[in-house]
Amino acid sequence: MKRTNPEPSASGAKKRRGEEDDEEVGCSHAAVEDGAVSEDQCLPLEDELTFSDTSVALRMMRAQFPRIDQASVPPFILQSQLYSSVNDRTQVDRELECLRREKVVRVFKLNTGQDDHAVIFLDDYLNQVDRIVKRMEEKKQSDLEIFKWFKGHVLDSKLEPSIGHHELFSLLSLGGNVKDAHITLLINAGLLTRQLIDPDMYWFAIPSIGKLWKGLLQGRNELLSLIKRKRHKEMFLAELEKKRLRFSPLDVRFHIRDLIGSGHLKTVQTTSGLIVRIPKD
Amino acid sequence: MWQAIKDRETGRVRSNSFANRFKSRRASSLQLSNRKDFVSPHRGSVNSLQVDLTEGRYLLSGATDGSAAVFDVQRATDYEASGLIAKHKCMFTVDKQHEHGHKFAISSAIWYPIDTGLFVTGSFDQFIKVWDTNTAQAVVDFKMPGKVYRTAMSSLAMSHTLIAAGTEDVQVRLCDIASGAFSHTLSGHRDGVMSVEWSTSSEWILYTGGCDGAIRFWDIRRAGCFRVLDQSQTQLGVRPPVLKPPAVSSKTFSAAKSSLGGQNRLKSLQNKHTGSQSAKGSSSAKASVEKSRQKRLHPGMLSTLDRATAHYGVVTGLKATNNGMYLLSAGSDSRIRLWDIESGRNTLLNFETGRIQTNKAIQMDTSDDPALVFVPCLKTVKSFGMWSGRTTLMLRGHYESVNTCCFNSNDQELYTSGADRQILVWSPDGSVEDEMVQDEVAEDKDNWSD
Repeated sequence: MKRTNPEPSASGAKKRRGEEDDEEVGCSHAAVEDGAVSEDQCLPLEDELTFSDTSVALRMMRAQFPRIDQASVPPFILQSQLYSSVNDRTQVDRELECLRREKVVRVFKLNTGQDDHAVIFLDDYLNQVDRIVKRMEEKKQSDLEIFKWFKGHVLDSKLEPSIGHHELFSLLSLGGNVKDAHITLLINAGLLTRQLIDPDMYWFAIPSIGKLWKGLLQGRNELLSLIKRKRHKEMFLAELEKKRLRFSPLDVRFHIRDLIGSGHLKTVQTTSGLIVRIPKD
Repeated sequence: MWQAIKDRETGRVRSNSFANRFKSRRASSLQLSNRKDFVSPHRGSVNSLQVDLTEGRYLLSGATDGSAAVFDVQRATDYEASGLIAKHKCMFTVDKQHEHGHKFAISSAIWYPIDTGLFVTGSFDQFIKVWDTNTAQAVVDFKMPGKVYRTAMSSLAMSHTLIAAGTEDVQVRLCDIASGAFSHTLSGHRDGVMSVEWSTSSEWILYTGGCDGAIRFWDIRRAGCFRVLDQSQTQLGVRPPVLKPPAVSSKTFSAAKSSLGGQNRLKSLQNKHTGSQSAKGSSSAKASVEKSRQKRLHPGMLSTLDRATAHYGVVTGLKATNNGMYLLSAGSDSRIRLWDIESGRNTLLNFETGRIQTNKAIQMDTSDDPALVFVPCLKTVKSFGMWSGRTTLMLRGHYESVNTCCFNSNDQELYTSGADRQILVWSPDGSVEDEMVQDEVAEDKDNWSD
């Protein structure tokens, strides 16, 4: 694992590395996940700001995704978080492309107005779709085969974040007879949204992301204003980590990684640790 | 440095690599020049800069106050501070006071590529004017259907003298200076065209980037565009792999999509179009009835159905590399993408730009030997390594946002201009010259005969 500052003692390093290996193994088991999250909150962000590899970074950040009980959203990682976690951005893009082609992850475009993309593991997404189907069954909704066709035909072959109307229709028709009402059902479930610029194209969407999306935007603004209010517009990373955000259900680390990756914050190494500051240009 | 010259003498270093060593060292150490200054006569933000292609001596600039000016880059008009600072005043300007001058902002001013006797300016008053440099008179006028965003002429052209004009109208028009008329109208974009660039490897190929986010490749000898760049068609690496990657899935549509070139994709789009139409129709299987029912598109116009976008936003700048293999595009989604021209794929190189100006076109430039890309990012100019995407230099000097960068590869100087009405010169920090001066000052002590 890459370290941003040298460890004070070798035994300390071994202990921390041991903890993190446990977490990595632990993140594949759902039972250990809660334990992993609480263990790693005592590990400062400074020590694990960068990773060596995109897939390692994705797994670690998925494990650290905050558990929110009200919204049943699969854990997602923003692309800007990946940029701040791995040194070489081109490497991130290319590895993400490889993972996307191997159907390990799926990339979605979020409509925040900036170039935000969310990366979700495909298993999590498919679980989410199944949960939606179950919920709709309980509400006695009809025509639920459309979701099966969606999962089987559309998700399997269309790996880009957007899809055209004709293509959607033809891919779904491979399963059976498709009507416009079916597509309305998919939109209501939150799996597709229409594009604002082009009436004929749809974006793939993460269902029930609304609350977190709002929290993302507000949390970003809150964190930035927190730092801007300081006299020299900078703060120690260790101190920033301890703050609690009022408007966002996502935790501070999530926002910090995101803002560093999108260029709104800059980290500077000093003798007393990492400082986060707002760049002048 | 003398060691390098000795190596050249003895033949250990070849002449090209000898020259390139110096050029690359100079180009990687640019800073605001304290020896050279352009006195800008413009009263509005300077939108366009170009050094002439034949000698690399004259700089043409166009500004928002409707003025275009020409500067001599190599000879200064006067010197200040006892000969240390060279001031370059403009040789002449054509502005609103001129009887044939533009009435609104000039968005693009380019030299005639063959010699500096003519230059072409495009303006928001919907006119493109061709000027004679020696008499400063407008020779030919072209009236465009909308505000002109960018004009371009091919530097390789042997058989045509066409000006490609991107306007706020969806069609790209090619104007012929020799006949004074429009020779081509290229349709396919769905919104205005903000950037136009001719190919550096073929005189017939034109690249255009539109406000709809699409980049299209046109061969002007044929109808329609032959390629539309799609940001999701990617290749990992700067050249496409020799073996094709395994097909994503066995479905026919995706197989058609992942195949190379735009042709299959366009045919599949046409098939889908006719397929869906005939499915809705009742009994007509005959081609003639289908033709009447649906507007049968010319194969060259099939590209209008292709809605692939290269950027999530407006394409604000295009630059083809000098070797004709790659195309750089800047978009208002603050991304710069590098495209492999032959395969038409996104090479997924990530340039660490923060934010780029979104409402106006920007002009980027590239340097060959240290393979750098110079991009104006709001108030700074950043230079990135072309194959690594990392920032090598951040040049801060402008007071407002920067619009254009122009790299003079003869002298390894960068000229930038922006909304603060200044044209700044960035030159290498001159350490080599200092070295040489030191050596000259040390006289030959044995030479003391009277």
